[in-house]
Amino acid sequence: MNRYSIWVMEFAHVPQYHLSGLIYGAHNQGYRRLPYCYVVIKGHGQVAMVDVGYNHKAYGEVLANTYGVRNWHPPREVLAECGITPEDVSTVFITHAHFDHMGNIEDFPNARFYIQERELSKWVWAMSLERRFRWLMLGIDPGDIMRAVDLARQGRLVCVNGDMEDALPGIDLRAAFDTHTWASMYVTVRNSEGPNAANTWVFAGDLAYTYENLRGNDPDDPQYIPIGLATGSQVNIIQTAEEMVKAAQGDPERVIPPHEDRLGTMFPSRTTAANLRITELALADAEPSRVRC
Amino acid sequence: MRELRNIDDETAAYILQTRKPFEDFRQVAAQIAGLLVLSASGANTASPDHPLLESAAELYQDALDEVRGAQPTERALVHHRCLLDASTALSAALTAARANLAVDSVMTPLHRAYSYLQKSSATLPGFEMVSFAQGCCAPHQRGVES
Repeated sequence: MNRYSIWVMEFAHVPQYHLSGLIYGAHNQGYRRLPYCYVVIKGHGQVAMVDVGYNHKAYGEVLANTYGVRNWHPPREVLAECGITPEDVSTVFITHAHFDHMGNIEDFPNARFYIQERELSKWVWAMSLERRFRWLMLGIDPGDIMRAVDLARQGRLVCVNGDMEDALPGIDLRAAFDTHTWASMYVTVRNSEGPNAANTWVFAGDLAYTYENLRGNDPDDPQYIPIGLATGSQVNIIQTAEEMVKAAQGDPERVIPPHEDRLGTMFPSRTTAANLRITELALADAEPSRVRC
Repeated sequence: MRELRNIDDETAAYILQTRKPFEDFRQVAAQIAGLLVLSASGANTASPDHPLLESAAELYQDALDEVRGAQPTERALVHHRCLLDASTALSAALTAARANLAVDSVMTPLHRAYSYLQKSSATLPGFEMVSFAQGCCAPHQRGVES
């Protein structure tokens, strides 16, 4: 029996993303469709999300026109496919502070947001450096920082120091310091009641973009290959990959990279009228499938 | 960067002249907001005498001097006005932060400054509120359509 229903919900995509951005060292090896997704976890009277997407009002046009991001749809429309409104969302786990993961904070007025405190304090440190270090501010939107201030003022920002067990029942937050960012985190959902851990899902944020990061290219001789972009250490990233796979009982397919386009063929899924993919990972009791008619 | 075609040479020169101060204003806003996040979330390292505020004030002054020295063309007048308005609001936010890092008194002018910066970024190409270059979600554009 599942504690939670879990869906990976696409809200935009890039038709052709360079593979070297996803897989370290994969230069001149072509392009791949890159979906932008967040994860919705529903159960125990709560709706939680892993990340919230980007703020289309602030820079959607720039992303669309300059970087080829297509087909953005607002959370109200995306979540409605699972019978959820943004107001229903009570908890959000921000895996890291990049604009495309935490930029849409203000669309979730009732949610408490969990983020690693070090992710915030290292922001401030990076901001104190000379202009020539501005690469360290990559992907960070000053507007997101202001929205985080508003959250803190409203008592809706929870700063986490390291790992946190049972942030919600069966949902753990795992810190991955100095990896993709200063203090990324991944989220594990132990989706069976009781101590049985054989039904665990791991949500990787950007600690893995694709399954090649978790098992390499040769199924007979798997290896970890880091992601294409990191502020921190590639060593830490592949060690975190090992932690995530272990947390998923050794099954890389239970580690979910939200940017992985193949999720839709690996798990039950459907494409909405708006050409957005919904992938259904688990259903709790009495929850109807949102992908099967 | 948005389309640079149809920009005359004088406006292009203005853009090149004001990109850095624009980015510096954006950075000042981020610095102030960053300290506010720490303060509002209870970190005891955030205080009005935090060295980051001093460096923000210096960066602000340098950027302001560059903006005041810029010579906007008619096409760039709105942009320049926005930068000046942003500078006024940033000055108020800095003053409030250095007096007392109280969130409410700082955030009002800071939001105003951010809005002016956003508005300026919409009026001319070359000014972005987020540095996407080389980012994880900044693919190289190939001119493809979905």
